[in-house]
This record gives sequence, C-alpha cells and structure tokens, in this order.
Amino acid sequence: MSSILLYNALIGGLVFGAIYALIGASLNVMMGVLRVVNFAHGEFVLIGSFLAYSVFSLTGLNPLAALPVVAIAMFFGGVAAYYLLIPRLRYSDDAETSSFLLMFGVSLMLVSSITWIYGADIRPVNFSFDPVNIALLTVEDAYGKGRDGKVLVPTARLVALVINLAIIAAMTWFIYRTLPGKALRGAIMNRDAIQVVGIDIDRLSANAFGLAAALAGVTGVILTLVIPSVDPNGGAPLTLFAFIVIVLGGLGHPIGALLAGMLFGMVEQFSNVLLPQSAAQMVGFVMLVAVVMFKPEGLFGRKVMR
Amino acid sequence: MNATVRRLDGPVPLELKDVYAAYHGDISVLNGLNIKVREGIVTGIIGPNGAGKSTALKTFYGFLKVSRGEVRHNGQRINGTKPSDMVGRGVSFVPQNRSLFNDLTVEDNLRLGCWGIRSDKARIQEALERSYEMFPILKDKRHDSAGSMSGGQQRFLELARALVIDPDIIMLDEPTAMLAPKVSRELYDFISGLPEKGVTVVLVDQNVRQCAAVSDYLYVLDLGANRAEGASADFGDDEGLKAMIQEWLDYQID
Ligand SMILES: Nc1ncnc2c1ncn2[C@@H]1O[C@H](COP(=O)(O)OP(=O)(O)O)[C@@H](O)[C@H]1O
Ligand SMILES: [Mg+2]
Repeated sequence: MSSILLYNALIGGLVFGAIYALIGASLNVMMGVLRVVNFAHGEFVLIGSFLAYSVFSLTGLNPLAALPVVAIAMFFGGVAAYYLLIPRLRYSDDAETSSFLLMFGVSLMLVSSITWIYGADIRPVNFSFDPVNIALLTVEDAYGKGRDGKVLVPTARLVALVINLAIIAAMTWFIYRTLPGKALRGAIMNRDAIQVVGIDIDRLSANAFGLAAALAGVTGVILTLVIPSVDPNGGAPLTLFAFIVIVLGGLGHPIGALLAGMLFGMVEQFSNVLLPQSAAQMVGFVMLVAVVMFKPEGLFGRKVMR
Repeated sequence: MNATVRRLDGPVPLELKDVYAAYHGDISVLNGLNIKVREGIVTGIIGPNGAGKSTALKTFYGFLKVSRGEVRHNGQRINGTKPSDMVGRGVSFVPQNRSLFNDLTVEDNLRLGCWGIRSDKARIQEALERSYEMFPILKDKRHDSAGSMSGGQQRFLELARALVIDPDIIMLDEPTAMLAPKVSRELYDFISGLPEKGVTVVLVDQNVRQCAAVSDYLYVLDLGANRAEGASADFGDDEGLKAMIQEWLDYQID
C-alpha cells in the first residue's frame, strides 16, 4: 500500500467531508428550527449547482462567481418558499409526516423543473484552474527503487475545501456568537419558549429556512468544483447523505452535523482505498445502522430533544 | 400577609371579557371567562386540574384563537395579537412548562429576554446589571448553561428573564411547582413584593393556600368559566367556597 493513496484518502476525506458537513448542517438547522423533514434538500443543493453551471456556461467565468448570487437568491427564495408552504402544515394533525410528504412533492417538482430547463443530460462544468494540480508534498521512495512520489491534488478541490471551511467557520460564528444565531439555537432547544422572549417564531422560521436554502445552494456551487458535472437526478443521493449526517451527528445539533459530515467523508474515502469496492460502499451504512442501534441520539447529540 | 394594604379597585390594564377559546376546532376550553387584572396587586387564579387556568394565561398572551369575547390591554381590544408582540406591550409570561434554553448560558438566556431592545447595547447592559443585582446567584452562574442549574435556580432565571426589560405586568403559571418548600417560600416572597417594584402580577397556582396568601384578589375557575372571585382576605369566610376547595384538594390527594 502506497502512502500516497492514504494521503489522497485524507485529502478526499476532508474535501467530501466538508461538503457532507455543510449539507448536513444546513438540513439540521431547517429540521431543528422548523421541524420540517426536508426531503428536497438535495435538490436545493442542485439548484446551486445548476446556477453555477449557468454562470459558467454563459460567461466562461469560474463557477465560484455564482456564489454570492446563489446565496442571496436562495435565501430570499427560501423565505418565500417558507411562507408559501410551511404555515399550512400547522393545520395538520401530524405536521412532521405531512412536511415529509410536502417536501417530497417539492423535490419531484424541482427535478422536473430542472430537467425542463436544462434537459435530462449530465452536463460537464469543465472549468480548469491553472495549474490543474498542486503538489502538496513529496513522498520519498513512494514506489520503491528510490522513485519519489508526489501527492497531487486538483486545485479545484483545494479551492473548494478552503471556501467550504471558510463558510463553515462563518456559519459556526453566526450560530454560536451572535444573538440571532443564539435565537435560532434557542428555537431548536425550546420552540415554545422563543415566543415569550418576544421573538416572532414565523419570522425566525422563515429566516432559518432561507439560511438553510442559501447554505444548500452554496454547497451546490462548491460541489461543481469537486465533481465537475451537473445531473438533474443528482439530488436524491445528496438528500440521503444529509439525513445520514444528521442521524450520525444528532438532530438539531449543528456542530454535531459538521463533525459527523467530516467523519462520514473520511470513512468513505479511506474505505475506498483500504477495502474492496463492494465492502467500501457498505461501510457508511453499517456505521449508520450501528449508530441508530447503539447511540440513537447521534454520536454528538444529547438525549434532550422532545 | 401582605405588608401594605393594596387598592383592589385600581385601573384594569389587562382583561378577558366573556372569552371563548379553543385549542383545536370548536372544542371550547374557555367558556365565557371574565378576568380583570388590576394594576399594582397580585391577582391569583386557582381551580382544579384542567380548569383552564393555564389556558386563560395563554389566551391573554395570544397563544389561542379567541372565538368569542375580547382580550383587552389598556382599554384596547387586542384579539389576535401575536405572543411575540406581548413583551413589547409590557406583558411578560413565565409558562407552566420550563421555558429556558438549556444549552445556552444564563447570560445568553437573559440577553434573549432583551430581544426587543437588541440594538441598544447600553440599555441591555443596564438591564443585565439590574437582573444580577436582583438575583446575585445568576451573576455567579452567568457563564454556566441554564440547564445545569438546580430547579429553583432555573425558576429564578425564568423570572429574571421575564423581568429583564421592566414589564408592567408579569404572568406566572405555577411558578413553585416541583420546588423544595424553602425555595418555594423564597419565590413567593419575591413574587408578593413585585407590586411594590411597579410590576402587576397574575399568579396561577395549584397550591390554594399559598396562592391565597400571596394574592390580593382571587379568581376561582372551573370548566373554563368563573366559579367565584373576591378579595383574598374575604375568602376564608365563604363556607361554600371552602367546601368546594376542600373537595378538589381531597380529589387531588387521591
Ligand atoms: N395543548 C392542548 N391541546 C388541547 N387541549 C389542551 C391543551 N392544553 C390543555 N388542554 C385542555 O384544556 C383544558 C384546560 O387545561 P389547562 O388550561 O391546562 O388546565 P389547568 O392549567 O387549569 O390545569 C383541559 O381539558 C386540557 O385537557
Ligand atoms: Mg396548568
């Protein structure tokens, strides 16, 4: 086993882990504050990817140029979607199940809309950075017989990682250090109490929905650097990953989702290198089942919800 | 019991007037309830379990839809006002269920209590300092998470948070439930002194004797409607009422 493969797994784990972390954290904010089971979260990510694709294919610019536009558009889109959809759930006897069905419908609708606008093909986002790869370090005698090896990482992935980490840092600062962020966490801890301190729960929820949508969209933009193509049917696996991360990290626990996302990315990438392919694909799910069986509140969660 | 004799005929800043209200559909929980909250006194609300005491407070606070009748604040009809607008109207509420944000610090809980004045840093600082002066224990624990404190300390934090931006009226729903007797006494002492600090009190309580002792005026509720009312001082004289209260106290012990 070459140590270069392990370095690659480590970097891949960071790159994908940060993406899973961001997807999971944004879904966790939405589910924690609103108790909405957002089955369309992967499609929210896709919207970001396709907007980045549009910006790239229309202007030839780096898909990252779409980042601020996507963030702002999806925040306001999310707020509007909240007022359009979510208050109706209140008339349901079982709001959480209804929210799941509603968002499942939204996810089908988004997939059809994206297919209608962009067509059903997978489209490449072949923007190339200069240089294409960066040699992070040299491993002496990597291949035996005195041949050194270089750990080469695609520049696009490094850029994606750095931006992703910066967004995670900003989000963490917002949720843990600012008063509106604390209000969001307060609403996750005790939704009934938020109104007695004079916070309008509808406005707070709308903002949480907008924030989660914006973060999902931003993740989609970053994703085009890591996997340089966009697929109208690519949302479902992302939704699945997001739910896995939440179960691993603990519902309503934003930091838990960040750690769980990183962990899941690492486990995935290292098993790809260390295990036969068929076994590698199962590792993540085995981990999920184990957590559900032995620590249902999540690896980083506490038994306080509900 | 009360240090000063208080006026029982003062102005009525808050009132339920012939109110019908329901949680779901048209199953009314409040059936023509009338409650006048008078300024500068402690108004007690007692009644058996399920009488609608908590519902009455939640209706004052806009949590329930009023199907008939009026909620009035300072002479104005406020039916349909959002709960989150009540703090801004000078009405605070400590609900029956714990209302703290457990994983946030004591100080952050108080800061969230200052949401309405969040852009005014100086005023927030002043408000926090006033809270800490009133409840020194909270100052010592200000960096601890709210959920890590004892039940009594948590109740005091809820009280502090409800008082932090100087309300005119505070509504308390069974504030001493599940507290040790010594802590209960401290809490009742504090509550009974609030009118002298300029805060009108509405107190819902299961503990009839304590509530009667702390309150200046009492409402007795049953089945979501008025059963009796009067100055607390006169309550001991009403044999019929005493018998009824005894009946539900016996029932509670069963
Ligand atoms: N969230 C709720 N949804 C539906 N019914 C409720 C709810 N809360 C209380 N009730 C009903 O309303 C009635 C009055 O309850 P409540 O006001 O809590 O009584 P009290 O505080 O006097 O013990 C009871 O019959 C109770 O079952
Ligand atoms: Mg009650």
